[in-house]
Amino acid sequence: MASISFLGLLGYLEISLCVAALCVLIAKKQWTDYAALGCFLAVRIASDIVLTCIHRYAAAHPLRIHALYYPYFYVYWISLAIESVVALIIVYSIFRLAMAPLKGLQTLGMLVFKWAAGISVAVALGNAFAPHQKGIDLLTSAISQLQRTQSILTLCLLLFVCFAIQPMGLTYSSRIFGVSLGLGMMSTNDLVQSAWMVLHPRMATTYSVINGVVICVILATWTAYFALPEPKRRIIVLPTTSPFLRWNQISQALGDSPGFVAVGGVPPELFAPAELEVMRRASLKMVTPFPPQAEARATFSRAV
Amino acid sequence: MKVIVRSLVIALAVTGAVASTFVSATPAKATVTAKTSAMPVPTCPPGDPDGCGLGTW
Repeated sequence: MASISFLGLLGYLEISLCVAALCVLIAKKQWTDYAALGCFLAVRIASDIVLTCIHRYAAAHPLRIHALYYPYFYVYWISLAIESVVALIIVYSIFRLAMAPLKGLQTLGMLVFKWAAGISVAVALGNAFAPHQKGIDLLTSAISQLQRTQSILTLCLLLFVCFAIQPMGLTYSSRIFGVSLGLGMMSTNDLVQSAWMVLHPRMATTYSVINGVVICVILATWTAYFALPEPKRRIIVLPTTSPFLRWNQISQALGDSPGFVAVGGVPPELFAPAELEVMRRASLKMVTPFPPQAEARATFSRAV
Repeated sequence: MKVIVRSLVIALAVTGAVASTFVSATPAKATVTAKTSAMPVPTCPPGDPDGCGLGTW
């Protein structure tokens, strides 16, 4: 019973920390860079408030639990689907911010990320459409697969940010790292939780308390990172022989559209009259490569 | 500091990979996951007569 009331308190704490993190993000004028995270927090606040209200109403009216479970179920799973998609967008935006100084590699990386994420999501959703899955099972399975894919991609991002943080001119106090760390903790917890639920498929278990504690730690981390002043990005110095630099230059050139030159079949109507006049005068001034036959003969006799 | 943070990140990634492998190796029907939240996961289908224990925690 004690753990049950503690879970309720964690629910309220989660909502409060979500509101705090969102307010700090907006107050520090970070919405432009972290709009996806702001949307994630907003969705989480809305869904948590609705779920808490349903739960409190069900506790006060035990006879209506059966009817109240419907909205709880759909609000939970739909909000989970939205949050998974938004979390993918957060991963994308964090990668974009981290790679901002190296425009070429940023463009190339974002292109690769889009394809990798698209294929992963397609494969994950394809796995959910197994023959034995129907109706609600199909919905929950598809959302679960989507979330699992997003968790794995997030962990890959966290590894990248952690090991490339110094070449990118960032530190562990940077908001990019703080947001990535929070997302990584969330993803790991999601994956561990899904393994736990294989063994204990009940609604409120001991893991719900662990879940509550983990999300509060994550939200507190984000709030702290946004509340504290961020150190400026260091100047990135690379040796001229660095393959990092070379790949960046190559990647920058990859996206350029080539110039075109007309080599034939150009009708004169395409040119403006002024252009035609310029070309006519220029051709008159040009030295004739082969002089007329009479002039050539005269020149020859003079020489003799 | 650097070593601690890197160790933490590697630990998170390895834990996630192990958990993901465990879930994938489960022969049972499709496993569900849930979000990291203090809100309990509705694991029962919507027509559950007991409402999956809603309002009791």
